[in-house]
Amino acid sequence: MTAVPPGPVRPGNEAPPPTPPLPGHAASASGPTPAPGLTVARAAAPLTSPAPGPYAPALVPARNAAGRAPLRRSRRQQLAGVAEGLAAHLGWQVGTVRVLFVLLSFISGAGLMLYAWLWALVPLADAARTVTGEASPDNRVTRSMPAAWALVGTGGVLAVLAAWMVGTTGPYQSEWFWCSILAMTVTVGGALWAGFLDANDPDRGARHVTLVRGTAALILLAVLVTDGWVTIGQRSVSALVCAMLAVIALGAIYAPILVTRLRAASHERITRIREEQRSEMAAHLHDSVLQTLALIQNRAGASSEAARLARAQERELRSWLYDGDEPADSDLPTDLRDYAAALELDYPVRIEVVAAGTSTERASGDLAAAAREAMLNAARHAGGEVSVYIEGRGDAVEVYVRDRGPGFSLDGVPADRLGVRQSIIGRMRRAGGSAQVLPGAGGSGTQIRLALRRDSSHAANGMSEGRIL
Amino acid sequence: MTDVLRVVIVDDHSIFRSGLRADLDPGVEVVGEAGDVAGAVAVIASTRPDVVLLDVHLPGAIGDLTGGEAVLQQALPLSPETRYLALSVSDAAEDVVRVIRAGARGYITKGSSGGDVSAGARAVASGDAVFSPRLAGFVLDAFGAMSGETARADDELDRLSGREQEVMRLIARGYAYKEVAAELFISIKTVETHVSAVLRKLQLSSRHELTAWASARRLL
Repeated sequence: MTAVPPGPVRPGNEAPPPTPPLPGHAASASGPTPAPGLTVARAAAPLTSPAPGPYAPALVPARNAAGRAPLRRSRRQQLAGVAEGLAAHLGWQVGTVRVLFVLLSFISGAGLMLYAWLWALVPLADAARTVTGEASPDNRVTRSMPAAWALVGTGGVLAVLAAWMVGTTGPYQSEWFWCSILAMTVTVGGALWAGFLDANDPDRGARHVTLVRGTAALILLAVLVTDGWVTIGQRSVSALVCAMLAVIALGAIYAPILVTRLRAASHERITRIREEQRSEMAAHLHDSVLQTLALIQNRAGASSEAARLARAQERELRSWLYDGDEPADSDLPTDLRDYAAALELDYPVRIEVVAAGTSTERASGDLAAAAREAMLNAARHAGGEVSVYIEGRGDAVEVYVRDRGPGFSLDGVPADRLGVRQSIIGRMRRAGGSAQVLPGAGGSGTQIRLALRRDSSHAANGMSEGRIL
Repeated sequence: MTDVLRVVIVDDHSIFRSGLRADLDPGVEVVGEAGDVAGAVAVIASTRPDVVLLDVHLPGAIGDLTGGEAVLQQALPLSPETRYLALSVSDAAEDVVRVIRAGARGYITKGSSGGDVSAGARAVASGDAVFSPRLAGFVLDAFGAMSGETARADDELDRLSGREQEVMRLIARGYAYKEVAAELFISIKTVETHVSAVLRKLQLSSRHELTAWASARRLL
């Protein structure tokens, strides 16, 4: 029975696992483009394709067994990534798909409808991930077409057109009302596009959003002034309605700001409530369960089964209560404490880990591996009370593992037993440190001393960190 | 030291009090129990015990003081002979430091066996300090021993002498006083003197690290 494997489990050199399909996903995949074998292929594709290089394919969708990429919208979008995704899926030229969309749009807007439908239902391509599973910095969505400006510009032109219509007595004079409405709708659409979509685009940023919004506001103000003037001059009810709509539209273009604020406020509130509940629960558990677990330990005797279980539970509960959500960093003391907790579950042993000084030694290092081996040895052969002491000075780290068992001498260990010779002494020597096996204090038990000098650059880090362990 | 050690247990959990009472050595007599600050002060004043086993996390904070500190502050003048041993459910030394700075002479975790608690109480009663390995590690850190700070004069409060550092390091490595004495070729009495000196520094020093740790009031 061995204890938990040390260190984080690294994923192998394979593509990220497939993301769970969104609702409506299946419909979008099989609906508009009835491609045989698509559903099966979508699930299989990310698993069978090996990642070339450090990044898994994200911008270029992986191909499935039938040689067809899954239907995904690209993250490098012109407008919404629909045409590019569809082209990649069908194996057509992007230009062909775009032209088809435009042509179809002339058949009572079918192309537009199809575009909007695909936009709503086709999921984005999987985010690029590094091999270690961290999200790559390059997985945000960018849109290269200035759609917000196009919409706001169209709105401006329509507004000018509407103003001209009011002033003339030509054949289009009666159409000015609808033209104003259209101008306002398109302008608001542009402002909302900027506020909701472009605001998250790293290539555009806040300045772009402010500019688009300001321009849209100016256009709407112009519409408002024109309509107000018409209302007064001609006593026209429709001009009054138009003016009122312009006021509403002005409010609407600043809606994204309001929505974002509200969202942040409610998020903050939820976080606060959760924190309060958590600390209340922590206080309660501290006063009840932790005390009881302590009592069980002292009544049951230090190395009994019940005491070990109670101790493990106490440790687990405490780390859950107080360590918070952020993962504990895997420095040497934290790692050895975790390992001690695992050993206590498997062996009749009680391990106290004490750390003093600063330490930049990582859990993945040779010193940590040797220390774990020494602790395992103590737990396996000695049991009872084991003390681990980690001391980090500016230029060196020492680890002492001390047990109170029967003790052993290195000469008495058979040559085929590799634990102490290879895993502890040999490993430390290879790492440029030293390991000594000594009799314990007062002649009882065994003491293993591991020492590793750090090079000067590490030592400098340790000093500047200045963290007390 | 009298034949029978008279102790008072101060802890707000009756189940813990009765458990500890049953577990203590026969040579230790429990003359009183209390579950809050006021009750503890009254019991200590009337029974004048040798040792008080004091829960670090006793509820009933008064102003800035935690429950444990409040008991020490109010009961010390009423029964000056009484010594205090802090009991903590927590492994963290920081909260223990507050109670020690308020006057407790040592600290032991609640998970310790009845025998250990009895031995700790005896040590405290005879004027010694009781340090756990973890507290020793904390002391080494807090007094800057790891970055090479060493007291030049014996009466310097803000740093440990070289010998005191050696003793603390051995205690942090899990050595009993007896084993420390053997390792350093000194008498047990000398080890006890060093530990008491460290305790005094821990109580009186104005080192920033100590006060910072101590004033950061945390549950654990």
